[in-house]
Amino acid sequence: MVRRAALASKIRGLDPQDIGDTTSSAVGAQIFETLYTYSYLERPYQLIPLLAEEMPVISEDGRKYTIRIKEGVFFADEPSFPGGRGRELTAEDFIFAWKRMADLNNRSTNYPAIFQGYVVGLDEFREYTATTPDVDYDRPVEGLRAPDPSTIEITLNKPHNFLLYWLAHLPTAPVAREVVESYGKDVVNHPVGTGPFRLVGNYRSNQFSMVRNENFREVRYPARASPELRERGLLKDAGRRIPFIHRIEWSIIEEAQPLWLAFMAGELDSSGIPKDNFPQVINRDKELTPEMKAKEIDLIKAEDPSIFYYGFNMDDPVVGKNRPLRQAMSLAFDRETYIETFLNGRGHVPIGPIPPMITGHRPDKRNPYTGYDPAEARRLLKEAEEIQGGAIPELKLAMPGTDTTVRQMGEFFRLQMRGIGLKVEVDYMTWPRFQDATKTRSHQLFALGWLADYPDAQNFLLLFYGPNRSPGPNACNYDNPQFNALYEDAVAIPELAGRIPLYHKMEDIVIEDCPWLLTVYRVGYALYYEWLRNYYPNDFANGTIKYQRVETDLRESILRKREEKR
Amino acid sequence: MKAYFIRRLFYLVPIIVGISLITFLLFRVVGGDPVDRVAGRYATSAQKAELRHQFGFDKPLWPPVGKLLKGDLKGFADNQLFRHFADTFTFRFGRSEQYKRKISDMIKDGVLPSLSLTVPAFIIGIFLQITIAVFCAFKQGSRFDRVVVVLSVIGMSLPYLALIIFGQAYLAGKLKWFPIYGYPEGIGLGVIPFVALPVLLGVVAGLGAGVRFYRTVILDETRADYVRTARAKGVGETGVMFGHVLKNAMIPIITQVVVVIPFLFLGSLLLERFFSIPGLGYMLIDAVNSSDWPVINALTFVGALIYLGALLLTDLCYALVDPRVTLK
Repeated sequence: MVRRAALASKIRGLDPQDIGDTTSSAVGAQIFETLYTYSYLERPYQLIPLLAEEMPVISEDGRKYTIRIKEGVFFADEPSFPGGRGRELTAEDFIFAWKRMADLNNRSTNYPAIFQGYVVGLDEFREYTATTPDVDYDRPVEGLRAPDPSTIEITLNKPHNFLLYWLAHLPTAPVAREVVESYGKDVVNHPVGTGPFRLVGNYRSNQFSMVRNENFREVRYPARASPELRERGLLKDAGRRIPFIHRIEWSIIEEAQPLWLAFMAGELDSSGIPKDNFPQVINRDKELTPEMKAKEIDLIKAEDPSIFYYGFNMDDPVVGKNRPLRQAMSLAFDRETYIETFLNGRGHVPIGPIPPMITGHRPDKRNPYTGYDPAEARRLLKEAEEIQGGAIPELKLAMPGTDTTVRQMGEFFRLQMRGIGLKVEVDYMTWPRFQDATKTRSHQLFALGWLADYPDAQNFLLLFYGPNRSPGPNACNYDNPQFNALYEDAVAIPELAGRIPLYHKMEDIVIEDCPWLLTVYRVGYALYYEWLRNYYPNDFANGTIKYQRVETDLRESILRKREEKR
Repeated sequence: MKAYFIRRLFYLVPIIVGISLITFLLFRVVGGDPVDRVAGRYATSAQKAELRHQFGFDKPLWPPVGKLLKGDLKGFADNQLFRHFADTFTFRFGRSEQYKRKISDMIKDGVLPSLSLTVPAFIIGIFLQITIAVFCAFKQGSRFDRVVVVLSVIGMSLPYLALIIFGQAYLAGKLKWFPIYGYPEGIGLGVIPFVALPVLLGVVAGLGAGVRFYRTVILDETRADYVRTARAKGVGETGVMFGHVLKNAMIPIITQVVVVIPFLFLGSLLLERFFSIPGLGYMLIDAVNSSDWPVINALTFVGALIYLGALLLTDLCYALVDPRVTLK
């Protein structure tokens, strides 16, 4: 049983501690596993144990986590192990992996978000790694202990209420020390994990394969699903042993046309919809056209946990000090036309910075500044001119890219603002130049987006927290003492339910202050052939191909019939 | 010729140093901060400063002359420019920041797929261009010549991207004569089906401009005095064309052909992307877009060396094909 999947860009590397891009994550997640993951078919997303035996025991002061790991979990076979046979996973493998992430020589981008400032002694270990390229991984870290091979104890300097989310994040996956030491820096080319699949061949080429990890433990298809996913028939395989797939054949296809041709030829089991092919696939009701249905193709629409916006630099003397101006610009932007023009309608007009699929999103909340109301915008602009003490000078928008679509988006923004009498000059920048200007707070207006790392609204609200100002992730340099106090209160609350009312208060402040001109909540459209079973997007769970099944006979029959028709 | 060759090699030294200096200026002085890519999206300024120190990006960009005046040679030598020169001139290109791979491995893996695409397209293309051009010149003003000239102008006007999109969609997608995309691991006969269509498209794309250029070059020669003399002496048209005209047309042909050779190593961006061929075509642009400084440096330096080598080869070829050219 073969699963044929495509990737839209090259894989940067499969060292789990350094994985940071979506393509490497998609591939690496089939090989490596984490302590926790997200339930495949339940929404809202729920954390469940993966390599952990159960959810952790957390001390009352929130500073000590005791985590039991599953027994009988083995690494895939690899020549670095004695006799080439993968050995059993131990608690020390996690500690080794986390020290690797802290090791400055490994240049991992993930350490600041996950562990910095939290684990007792780990920052000191990181400082030590700056002094030598030959890091001693036996050097103890007080906050990371393995009292026995199946138990991890993490001691924190202060409570870290988002640690569990990060322990479901691929960079915290365990690696075997003997494999790392055997390959040295080239371990990035030799990924060996405990996951359902193992790599065969060279993933640096544009086509490569994975086969089942023969050492993968007994795991069953989930028996729980949200009602709408149950209705899609996604529980038919409940209780059956996984993975079903024997082999995954990956193809890196960076251009939309070959991707689409390959999917239509049945060489791929699933695909997105290229912008240019959208009208031939989706009708005006945003459903599949009859021609596509006749080809035994199905459609899934799922909201992305992401947000896109034009940011106002709050340090800027014109836009940063003039709330009515920001509100006026937000009301002058026709989001429905934008979504139809640039995304073929694949998106919703946004409400606030907390998008759908994230706990804390309020679908019924009304944002008075995301509708299209040029008359109100002009009224607010007059107020803004009074604050400015005259006409608003020409504004400057920075766009992150120089390609045609980015230019069209920049032009669209310029014309929308001209509609209320504002002049905007657009500067199209390469990504490094754009990043540099963001870091030095040189933009006045800029276009950006954010894709969630975990399904908690805090992952979006941190983008407005004052101490995170540029070069931190708060690119608009918003710094509101009231918001900051609420943020600090919220992140100190251990339970999500307790944080949500504060999240809503913070979101209300941001909506009114308008440091972002929100553009879209994107909706992902995915196509798949009927021979692919149990396929459903999950933006946070790792390694979901293990749940999927390919009906090989059905595939052959569909393709044969199609060939006969030609 | 030997003395000329050695002198030219010496001339290359300042050029290579200049190229390396320009690369350094472009990407380390006026380009983005390389730490941004490495630091991750949650990093604070303190964390970035820590990384900058670790990578040596907090060292002076230029040699501190003050230290030299104080006799501190070690301090004078400890700067980013000298480290850049030392690494580049000894071919220690290091690892790609974004792929964490040795750059030498990346080049090694990418160069053969690129060459498997560009070399056949180049050889077949040049052969067809010159052959058709010779026939056109031979039959100047004939129906064949007029049709070829019209088709060449049409070929030159056709956007390369449109040709690739049409060729892939029709010949591979619709008629299924070729695979839509892909490239097998390793180099062998197995690559032929996968490079056949990209090579065909590469040849077709270059045909119009090539035929026009070589036809003009050959026709220019046919109007020369020595051709009239040869004809007056009773040499047949075939003898005139192959014995005199083509021989003398070799100088512009060599110039055109040899200058293209360095670009064969750098692959074809569009063909490689559309047909998922893991070559070097996209490597440089990808590196520039990601501020992957070590890759930019390596490819610029290696590309410049090949280009300079090709220019030297061109001069040597001139002397070989034209007895009027002497290299002193």
